[in-house]
Amino acid sequence: MVAEAVAPPFARGASRPLVLIAIPLGFALLGYILRFFAFLQAGWSPSFWNYPDGLCRWDCLWYVTLAESGYNHFPTESLLDTGNWAFFPLLPMLVGGLHALIGWVTIRIATALSIGFSTLAVFAAWPLLGRNLRSYTLYAAFLLCGPFSVYFTTFYTEVLFVLLTNCLLLTLRRSSYLLSGVTAGLLSATRIVGVFAVFAIVAQYLLDYRRGGRRWRNLPAEIWRDPTIVLAVLLAPIGLFTYMAYLYFHMGDALAFSHVQRAWGRITGNPAIFLWQGITATSNDGSWPAVDQWLALSALTGLALTILLAWRRRYAEALFCVVCLAAPMTAGLASMPRFVVALSPLVLLAIELLARSKPVFVVLSVGFIAADYFFTVGWLQNWLPLV
Amino acid sequence: MFAGIVLVAGLELAAAWLALHPHVDGNYRAYYIDQSTTCLNKPVTGAYELGATVSFMPDDQPGARHLRVCGWAGPGGDGTHSAGTSSRLRFAVPDGTKSLILQMWVTAVVAPDGRDQQIVLRSSNGVTIGEATIPAGVTKVLEFEVPPTAISRTRKRLDLVLSYPDAAAMSPHVGDMNYRAIKLMSVQLRRPGDPASLGPQDDPLAQRHEQGP
Repeated sequence: MVAEAVAPPFARGASRPLVLIAIPLGFALLGYILRFFAFLQAGWSPSFWNYPDGLCRWDCLWYVTLAESGYNHFPTESLLDTGNWAFFPLLPMLVGGLHALIGWVTIRIATALSIGFSTLAVFAAWPLLGRNLRSYTLYAAFLLCGPFSVYFTTFYTEVLFVLLTNCLLLTLRRSSYLLSGVTAGLLSATRIVGVFAVFAIVAQYLLDYRRGGRRWRNLPAEIWRDPTIVLAVLLAPIGLFTYMAYLYFHMGDALAFSHVQRAWGRITGNPAIFLWQGITATSNDGSWPAVDQWLALSALTGLALTILLAWRRRYAEALFCVVCLAAPMTAGLASMPRFVVALSPLVLLAIELLARSKPVFVVLSVGFIAADYFFTVGWLQNWLPLV
Repeated sequence: MFAGIVLVAGLELAAAWLALHPHVDGNYRAYYIDQSTTCLNKPVTGAYELGATVSFMPDDQPGARHLRVCGWAGPGGDGTHSAGTSSRLRFAVPDGTKSLILQMWVTAVVAPDGRDQQIVLRSSNGVTIGEATIPAGVTKVLEFEVPPTAISRTRKRLDLVLSYPDAAAMSPHVGDMNYRAIKLMSVQLRRPGDPASLGPQDDPLAQRHEQGP
């Protein structure tokens, strides 16, 4: 109903672009207003002028400092053990560059850029969602006016990660491996797990190779004849390696982004054990579910959707997602909701399935909008484990 | 295409080589890379006036910050907690100082197994100063004689290393960075014969807080 209300029957080609633009922009505006009301309700000394700052919490504050002041040397300027080397550079660089260019307040630039990137991510998802208007509308609502929209509309790298992942999926569907490699290179400069896009590229290449009826034993000759895939694979981690080189010349340790995890007291272990501990956790005050159980539920949801991806023969996407989930889980379940909702293949699949039923679509559209307000209050008052 | 492959591969191999050969000092390597210590030695000033009491409660955080090198968390309402298996304190000491007396007001944490907490004190140049064992949950006033050899003459400071052989994880599945042993309430470093501190409330800043605005 909602989609049809905003999308009367198309004249061939004429009104469709307008509708495709209007839907995400409409949700962007609605979400911005809803979260503002949530901020007025639950924020600290809320006003219109400090609204972007008010939503900026936890890692967002690190990114603001990073965009303004760059990476720490060693010893860090504040003498903290927790240097900012774990925060990957691409989005802070873009925001910092704009800040240097136009002089706006950093968090306002970041907010505008994030909303812009979210909108672009929705546009990019149109072919990925089978050009289905209900799916498109629901996806736009989820990103821009949904329960986790605070991740995609303030200063978190998840929004750029989602946009680039959608671009990667588009290039893989077209078997444009070189473009896939370039996109993956940008992903690996956005978040550490972006480097795992190389697995999706290789998987898709092999699938495409076999779909052409070709034999494994001819693979080396094929690669020698057309080594595009080799260059694509090499380009995938270029963002990470560039950042590593920068860290070395800046403060002496190319692996500082990994080594600094010690300062946060993170220990590594078996993801399955962490998952089990989360599922069986209890809270000190007897409330149910416990925070760790929420985190475990997020992880389980992500894994279930990954299995569903594989079952639907979207092997490259499933491989990317399982690695992107398992790698962070070796350090526990912290931030799992964020990691799961930032995995585009999972969200797109879920949206696709949920949008099939018109009643479910309507209920979820309204539900997402309502949840945007309440989850933002939960984010501000710290009673939801969203960080 | 092949030129591009060679170029990109070469750049990435160079970056990998850099990753395998970090150019960092011993403190960084011990803490972040080798993980042989939970206490990252940092260039804290150690600004301190001999004989003064510095509270490690929340009422004199600026004063305590000059002395806290690493291995501390807080302060909380019951003091500054040790974090990890060792901590460091630093005191600037005037030239010509001979032996000193170190006083610490300390409470041992209550570990899940109720173990006593042992503290082993030495200077960063390897001079043993003393050790003490405190029952769980008990507050004690510890005094140690600091020999002149413990003081660095070139740097004009005393660097104290407190080791906690019995530091404990307060909850399951935490790394050694989050082990707890003691809660430090106040310190005093004085010359022999100077009056001993009566505890955190002797800190001038703490006294000002007591008096109000």
